[in-house]
Amino acid sequence: MKKNNLDEMQEQELLKIEHNGCWLAFWGLLAVMAIQMVMGVPGTQMLGEWIVFMVLALYLVIACLRKGIWDRHLKANRKTNLIVSLLAGAAAGILITVSNPYLSEPLDYVLVAGISGGFTFLLCFAALSISMKLYKKRREKLEQE
Amino acid sequence: MPKNLSVKVARVQKDMTQKDLAAAVGVSRQTINAIEQGEYNPTIKLCRAICRVLGKTLDELFWEDDFDEKE
Repeated sequence: MKKNNLDEMQEQELLKIEHNGCWLAFWGLLAVMAIQMVMGVPGTQMLGEWIVFMVLALYLVIACLRKGIWDRHLKANRKTNLIVSLLAGAAAGILITVSNPYLSEPLDYVLVAGISGGFTFLLCFAALSISMKLYKKRREKLEQE
Repeated sequence: MPKNLSVKVARVQKDMTQKDLAAAVGVSRQTINAIEQGEYNPTIKLCRAICRVLGKTLDELFWEDDFDEKE
């Protein structure tokens, strides 16, 4: 094991700093990608940010599931998943519509927003539901160990 | 968190500075200061190390009375 130069309080402080840094990177990358989308930057130019963001997100999800952790504030239930998915769908619908340069008719806006938002909602809800099932299964296993 | 005066008093009785106590238990002076100021809640491992160095029991140094518990 590597020698640790920090005492227990410093270790906790460092964990807090790393925690803040992690969420700063997460939301910062998301904001950067959203801004780039609105500005019409081609998808290929956002590939680097997207890969880092996805690796970070996947790491967080997998690490939390392995430890049987869901969230500090949100409860793992269908209602919460539904609300979060609706918010994600609405955000995606707005973002995709705003960043699409080919739309002119009001009906086009509604259609694109509805389809992209609806699809994002379904994907998000499915991902959350699967994660919730895995989390509950893992937690039960950890409780029994 | 309330200030931990017991640790401070016991340390002074032993004629030790925060730096001496920190070195004796293997932590930084800031950590000892934070414990005395009630800004950091040490692990049981560190509490026991402090008790050993200061020649006190856990109850004497870290027991909280009713008032503290309500806080």
